[in-house]
Amino acid sequence: MATTTAAVTLTSDLLSDNMSVSASTTCMKAGTTADGLDMMEYGYIDIVTGDQFDLLGSDDSTGSLGNPVSGVMANKANKVYIKNHSTDETYYVSIMLDAQAIGKLYGGDWMFIPWSATDDDKDIEITASGGTNKICYALFHQGKTLVAS
Amino acid sequence: MATTATISISSDIAPGFGGISESMTLTQAGTLTDIDSTTGFQIRKLSATGAVDLVTMASELVEPKDSVAAKIYIRNIGYKGDIDKSTGVTIGVKAESIGMLYGGDWMMMPLTCIDADDITVNPENDNTVVIEYVLFYEEA
Repeated sequence: MATTTAAVTLTSDLLSDNMSVSASTTCMKAGTTADGLDMMEYGYIDIVTGDQFDLLGSDDSTGSLGNPVSGVMANKANKVYIKNHSTDETYYVSIMLDAQAIGKLYGGDWMFIPWSATDDDKDIEITASGGTNKICYALFHQGKTLVAS
Repeated sequence: MATTATISISSDIAPGFGGISESMTLTQAGTLTDIDSTTGFQIRKLSATGAVDLVTMASELVEPKDSVAAKIYIRNIGYKGDIDKSTGVTIGVKAESIGMLYGGDWMMMPLTCIDADDITVNPENDNTVVIEYVLFYEEA
């Protein structure tokens, strides 16, 4: 069984007592405890300003960025990591899912989410602001529909 | 000190993948100023299927500023120490499903904090499950 582990440590001094939380999860296939996610895509790209792109496509066509991450099995336990590696704190990317705004990742910010990809429209979309943003992303998943050449 | 979040991902799926280890300091939008507001840790116990608001943006005691650098951490912590990988809770924004957190799974994502963009949770069955979360935001 392939093993993928995602851990987070969150600390903050905003409260009267310092908050420190650690959590770790082993990324399993949907609803199982015996079989881990066994496929992944990992990339690093520049996102230019001006257009909205599909960072991760949930349908069976190749994403508009040309990355081979399409065909994720729908309604599964996929996990997505995205980090904005821009060093200018005023740069950001807006993250959307099927035209629903999720939020903004400024330079240095990262996110880690489950992605059910419930149908062909559930692409993860990205738009850059401020300048060309440098984005690292990873998708951990359990299946993929290959596109015939 | 400030508010920081560090992620570490290890995986043996792909040979040669060296893992991911990244840290971020939560700052206000477009600046190096630390983010200054939080809801603190909260939990929500769910015992039935059906989408409900985890965070109702228009009902926050302090109005968060819209479309800036807010972040939310959410984790499915099971119930009374029993973390069930087969009991998933779908997390959504407004009417859009993002994905399902199975027992023990966690997520961290940016938010718009726009009043209509509530954070929703929807268990896949009637087993009791507890969701913990904390929201970091800027005051409007």
